[in-house]
Amino acid sequence: MKILAIETSCDDTAAAVLENNMVLSNVISSQIDLHSQWGGVVPDIAKRAHQERIMPVIAEALRKGLNLKSKGKKIEEIIGEGMKNIDVIAVTLGPGLAIALSVGVNKSKELAIKYKKKLVAVNHIEGHLLSNWVKNSKEKPFRKIEFPALTLTASGGHTKIILMQDIGKYEVVGETLDDAAGEALDKASKLLGLGYPGGPVIERLAKAGDVNFMELPRPMEHAKNLDYSFSGLKTSFYYRIKDWPKSEVNKNLENLAASFQNAVFESLLIKFRKAVEIYRPKTLLASGGVMANLELRKRLRKLAKDNKLKIFMPFRKDLNTDNAMMIGVAGYYKALRGEFVKNIEELDRDPRAMI
Amino acid sequence: MEKLDITKSYRQVIKKTAEVIKSGKMVLFPSDTVYILAVDPTNKRAVEKLIGFKNRWVGKAISVAVSDKKMAKKFVKMTENSETIYNNLLPGPFTVVSEGLHKTAIGIEAEDGSLGVRIPDNKYIFDLVEELGGPVTATSANLSGRSPHYSVESFWKPLSEKKKAMIDLVVDAGKLPINKPSTVIDARESEIKILRRGDLITGSAKQTLISKSEKETGKIAEFLWKKVLRKTLDVNKPMVFGLSGDLGTGKTVFSRRMAKILGIKDKVTSPTFVIYNEYQIPLNPPLTRGKSDLQITKFLHMDLYRLANQYEFEEIKFFEQFDSMTSSRLVACVEWPENMGKENFEKLKKLANYVSINFEYVDENTREIGYSITLET
Repeated sequence: MKILAIETSCDDTAAAVLENNMVLSNVISSQIDLHSQWGGVVPDIAKRAHQERIMPVIAEALRKGLNLKSKGKKIEEIIGEGMKNIDVIAVTLGPGLAIALSVGVNKSKELAIKYKKKLVAVNHIEGHLLSNWVKNSKEKPFRKIEFPALTLTASGGHTKIILMQDIGKYEVVGETLDDAAGEALDKASKLLGLGYPGGPVIERLAKAGDVNFMELPRPMEHAKNLDYSFSGLKTSFYYRIKDWPKSEVNKNLENLAASFQNAVFESLLIKFRKAVEIYRPKTLLASGGVMANLELRKRLRKLAKDNKLKIFMPFRKDLNTDNAMMIGVAGYYKALRGEFVKNIEELDRDPRAMI
Repeated sequence: MEKLDITKSYRQVIKKTAEVIKSGKMVLFPSDTVYILAVDPTNKRAVEKLIGFKNRWVGKAISVAVSDKKMAKKFVKMTENSETIYNNLLPGPFTVVSEGLHKTAIGIEAEDGSLGVRIPDNKYIFDLVEELGGPVTATSANLSGRSPHYSVESFWKPLSEKKKAMIDLVVDAGKLPINKPSTVIDARESEIKILRRGDLITGSAKQTLISKSEKETGKIAEFLWKKVLRKTLDVNKPMVFGLSGDLGTGKTVFSRRMAKILGIKDKVTSPTFVIYNEYQIPLNPPLTRGKSDLQITKFLHMDLYRLANQYEFEEIKFFEQFDSMTSSRLVACVEWPENMGKENFEKLKKLANYVSINFEYVDENTREIGYSITLET
């Protein structure tokens, strides 16, 4: 089954081509130079110009995934040629930014109708869950994932603990009540005068810092449920350093980053550990942008080892952050279950879709 | 004793209550905070009865409810401070203490000649005062030193037969939402003094309120929402609350309460990453009751924190949501509105009923929340 996957849930316009759960191509607007490839003008200041980017991104994914010759051809021709070889289109329906989702959903409907293809609508969070099922074109890595599996998925937009009884059978057992874990890291980065996204910068600085430099709260630590809260952590960090002179902040960047990152990760792990005790899963999984952090991966592996469990995390770095590969795999399993969109014309984005 | 249910045959109950009060009798009546004892404050016999009931010594003031500033001016002397409070905070859960003009019966004004006046944010009392054409006492229905009551039963049960016989009419509105009694503000001197803390506390500057907890920030959201609804809105425009202030000052808490007020039951989490979250509103949220022509169907919780420039704001096509037929049905809370850029901000103020809210850090648990309402028509 050849799948064209489209993901436009927030900042990036992304498309991928898969053969079943194997990635043949993967394209993300922020990582390629669309100007040189296809011409056209997309101003650099436009971050979320999905409308302008969607066609070139899809064309590029089809060209790479299906080894099409692009020389002298227009975008429409490439897409027309590529679509002949596609069986199913998978698209992110939500959750996400409404206006961004619309672009992907509308384009997928248009292509499905024009080329008479089947369409599957995918929940973005399910995409993150199934990012651990994504394989490369040689069907690697091989993984035996036993159910029930417990997943920690954390990014800039969400933080959830989900119990998986099977592919397609999910139960959210804990989630953030306010800010996402990745958002907390981003905001801390900005407070320290560093860039966006903050996760990678904080990670780099934290390596050389002292986690005990500043004592910070572990919000919701003692709450009986498995929910998270990162808003209070961000606030207390802010007010601790608010009146520091800039030189003092700069002198202690590493220590501050380490202390804050440690507070976020410990919070994540406290609840995940609790969830493991409650649900006694056979496998642990982790996904989402925050899992790009090697320190967190290390701590998660230790948690798994302590519980004599296997833990799986996305095998390539760009599978952690938002991407179309995971949407393709989630779409693949939905297609296997026969869950196609019945009335394509009426399909509408669902910005706050629940899993 | 007669008992009337105000939720049934509303007009008749108001009319009947006004008649009873006019004839010098005492009524148990629902307010925006607690149940109150309502008598005619200009009727000597009625006031004596009220003081007797409350076991209160003469000399401690009994607050009165009026319908507007004009009516208040007949009973108290205005100062610059009290004018500001009347203009900005009332109607609302505040009692303003001013120098009395001695137009009420003995026992209403305090020993020092001061008088507490309320303009309650409550349809029942407002309509009652209108019907009467004059003020009523708005003292909480409890014996001196005891806690106030939120239901008729809790008030009635512990009363002695003698006390029960003193109440001529009970107007029942069921269980009232638990709001603290009003905040009492002494506005006689140039420095405003808070004599009793209620749910809302005024800040140091004009049009500011103090919050000491997330709960109080929520109360402020409710107060401002009601205030905006009372203004003459352009019903063809959406209602937008711009929330400015540092990280962690309560912007999301405010938005979350706003969602709750609108009847949204879903969890409201931070929209920072996705920029905005859309919520559909169930029909007939209770607080829009007063304006039947204002049917709000969508709530937008927006956070422009991540946006670097005005182009990014334009990409999310916020204003396009205003062009549709349903723009008047939209309420939005926009965090970090300054990130939309100056031009867009000016445009927003023209296109929407705009309320600017400013959150300021005072200390770890205290925020000063300022507001201004721009209703350009």
